[in-house]
Amino acid sequence: MKNEHEMRVGFAGDNRKIKVDVPEGDLTPWDLDTKLESVGGRSDRIDAFAKVTGRAKYAYDINLPGMLHGIILRSPHPRGSVKSVDLSKTLDMPGVKAAVVMKQGERNRIRYVGDPVAAIAADTLDQARDALSAIVAEYEIEAHNVELLAAEGAPNLNENNISDPWPVPRPAARRRPADPDMELEVSEADVSAEGTWSMEVQTHSSLESHGNVVWYKKETDSAEIWASTQATFGARQALASALDIPQDRVTVRAEFVGGGFGSKFTPGEEGMACALLSKQANAPVKLMLDRFEEHTCTGNRPSAVIQIRAGAKKDGTVVAWDTRSFGGPGCNGRGGSTSHHTNYFDNAKHRRIHVDLATDTDASRAMRAPGRPQGVFAMEGMMDILAAKCGLDPLAFRLLNDNSELRKAEWQLGAEKFGWAEHYNASPGSGEDPRYLRGAGMASAFWGGMGGGKHRVTCRIHRDGSVESRNGAQDIGTGMKTLMAMLTAEELGISPEQIRVSMGNTNDPPGPASGGSTTTPSLSPAVRHAAGLAKQELGAKVAERLQVDANKIIWQNGHIGLQGGEMIPFQEACKLIGAEPIEATGIRQANYDGYQDNVCGCQFAAVRVDRETGLVLVEKMLGVQDCGLVINQKLAESQVIGAMIEGISYVLHEQRIMDPKQGRMLNGDFANYKIAGTLDMPEMEAIMYSVANGKNNVGAAGLGEPPSTAAPAAVANAVSNALGLPMRSMPITPDKVLAALHSKKK
Amino acid sequence: MTMNPSDPANFSRRAFLKGASVAAVGSRVGTEFSKGAELDKSSSILDKGSHPITLQVNGSKRELKIETRSTLLDALRDSLDLTGSKKVCDRGACGACTVLLDGEPVNSCMTLAFDAVDAEITTIEGLARGDELHPMQQAFVEEDALQCGFCTPGMVMSAVACSKRHGGSPSMDQIKNDMSGNICRCGTYPRVFKAIQAAGKEGGR
Ligand code: FES
Ligand code: FES
Repeated sequence: MKNEHEMRVGFAGDNRKIKVDVPEGDLTPWDLDTKLESVGGRSDRIDAFAKVTGRAKYAYDINLPGMLHGIILRSPHPRGSVKSVDLSKTLDMPGVKAAVVMKQGERNRIRYVGDPVAAIAADTLDQARDALSAIVAEYEIEAHNVELLAAEGAPNLNENNISDPWPVPRPAARRRPADPDMELEVSEADVSAEGTWSMEVQTHSSLESHGNVVWYKKETDSAEIWASTQATFGARQALASALDIPQDRVTVRAEFVGGGFGSKFTPGEEGMACALLSKQANAPVKLMLDRFEEHTCTGNRPSAVIQIRAGAKKDGTVVAWDTRSFGGPGCNGRGGSTSHHTNYFDNAKHRRIHVDLATDTDASRAMRAPGRPQGVFAMEGMMDILAAKCGLDPLAFRLLNDNSELRKAEWQLGAEKFGWAEHYNASPGSGEDPRYLRGAGMASAFWGGMGGGKHRVTCRIHRDGSVESRNGAQDIGTGMKTLMAMLTAEELGISPEQIRVSMGNTNDPPGPASGGSTTTPSLSPAVRHAAGLAKQELGAKVAERLQVDANKIIWQNGHIGLQGGEMIPFQEACKLIGAEPIEATGIRQANYDGYQDNVCGCQFAAVRVDRETGLVLVEKMLGVQDCGLVINQKLAESQVIGAMIEGISYVLHEQRIMDPKQGRMLNGDFANYKIAGTLDMPEMEAIMYSVANGKNNVGAAGLGEPPSTAAPAAVANAVSNALGLPMRSMPITPDKVLAALHSKKK
Repeated sequence: MTMNPSDPANFSRRAFLKGASVAAVGSRVGTEFSKGAELDKSSSILDKGSHPITLQVNGSKRELKIETRSTLLDALRDSLDLTGSKKVCDRGACGACTVLLDGEPVNSCMTLAFDAVDAEITTIEGLARGDELHPMQQAFVEEDALQCGFCTPGMVMSAVACSKRHGGSPSMDQIKNDMSGNICRCGTYPRVFKAIQAAGKEGGR
């Protein structure tokens, strides 16, 4: 059963009434006309106190009596197989309590340097480390390749870095949409351009490394687990199976998680090892990876080479866009795809073909908007090249071609707030300052992230006035716990500080893995629904007490009662509850058709390039970002700024450097794998653009990924503007800048 | 953390606070987190080696047994269960393990525990007075200078030292310089800068 409901949706520049089908039992959806108290405000992060005092316990921080420390022996060779592993000597080393072989029988292939071979657990980490050297492993070594452009199927690039001939896709290539006339379309445009963009592997670099504490208890054949994970329920499933016990005997906790960015969806082999060691020793085992393992064995954002040929009419309208990309997903041989949105050429002929190339390196994993920052870096680079060929300013060119009305509004707002006209270098590559060249760039963001699933949330109201909101999924730093408090508070008409939130415990109702920017949009409607149902129950109790009909009851300013009549404070009303609290389970209903199915956004960057050293410094950066209903302005801005910083880091600094001979990462540490620090910080601003998307009773959309799709491209375009040359290889390190400056002098 | 994890009651050590006091301490009560218990001195967790050592941590004398090669970070985290200081790189490249030795910030992963015997050690756990936050911690909360929070204890310790060094009013350049050894993957730096400025004179207390 569904009820038709009229709601006002849209954003400042374009709002309208639409009809949606609200599922039976759901709450009346919030829309543009709804007056909200807590939601939309700037509440402090609910778990900030625990984090600033050091009291927050992450998996890495769990210490248990009798706990052992696990460590993994990893292959020093990139390719081959394990012939034998002898653990006998290591078991005699001081403190060693358990040891397992992880490569044997059929499953003995070595796929990259760091592939796990065996694992041991000892009383202390020092003892475990000492005992590692006593394991004797024999390998059968095979020839390897760790370089993308030396892989089978790699394109031949000519001196202009263009693949010559333009490669014919292999059958394995993904085409979407297929369009055999692309060649013609590009060549017949008034203006056309082609180019090759390339980028290196980026590692997730979460500050808390991957790992778990697994406490298997023989007496009850059960386990308690603390995991650094983005998916508590997935972790329970995988680790229960590793322990070979039913899931109902396993509890996974992740109350705090020190970052994941897409790399922590499964407990991985380190989780399997930890589980096996704990079971063998019948003792708790902590196994957290060290920083080198973290850089080399827990996935990464794949490298890529992207070629684009595109054409436009004289007036600037894009008519053809042809993209072919090659991705380097490592030993899995798949998952290296790059992508872009199509808003600039929805009405043009366009095509995208991708080929993955396998290398003997750690397999890539999802990383904050998988494939997108790469694809957008190339796409936005080409946009600026075409704009210049058409004699148009980058902003004008985008306003002309962007198919999204929402983003057009954002471009205009952003350009004005950023001061586009003032920062854009109208004579690219020149400037008065003898030392520094300056320029500005922009790029678009786009993402889905409307959420879904069948998640459940529990809301409890107790006799003493305390309120709980509970879900078993994790808050990896996005602020979901805070949003749960705000949504519950809004529904109950009390303040967010009065709500206690529990996340990250699989004993609570099921919730999503944190991926695809869906945790907030997936859980929020269920959080509100749970609170709404609990509210109805409390309302009914008040009605009974006042001896009126339950549908006459209103909630106002923390009071419950009759319009113009007796109003009881929330705290007093709760006294009508008995020893058993009110408990309601909210359900995530399917999304309505609604108004908008994606989020947009745009970013602007201004840079300074040192002509002498080649160093690029981003001086100013601004992002405009929508994400449906903005539940907490402060936290949303934090996330957008964070994504922009990660983008600065990716485009200017980050690259995995491999030694082709040994097949090993040379910079697997934070001293040599550089991520942006305080000295790289520009003046930054994030502007949240609220949209009523009409998708569910809350209307929140994902935010983690969208802003990270645009940032590298915006900075790269700014550098290109400063230099007067397109910078098509990231990271844009000083050597590349100096080479570009030198090429201009010739 | 010595606790009985099967007991759901140890989620929180605080009773629900009501009325006016709620707003004042709100950020402290709103979320459930496991108890960082006072360690039982007889616990075997204190013995990670055979060399006795006495450390002065957050105003109290702590006796433990460690290996001579133990870093201060490992002694704090693994022996004393002071896990606020984080182990991220273990090589002096990230600042997550920052503690104060006689008021000066050091990377505790690069300091041998034995080299800290004569010093007064302040860790993130020693900053607040009970549940009353240090002004720098309060500023971090208000400016939302944290996301996942894993870099945060180190950031706060470096921030306190930075504020103190510059008499409570460091310039933006001084902040960026002094904080350059602390990295954050979530991208909280601009909020951290604001927090240090907002903490003002009291930030280096
Ligand atoms: S853990 Fe000490 S500096 Fe990184
Ligand atoms: S808040 Fe996550 S690393 Fe800084």
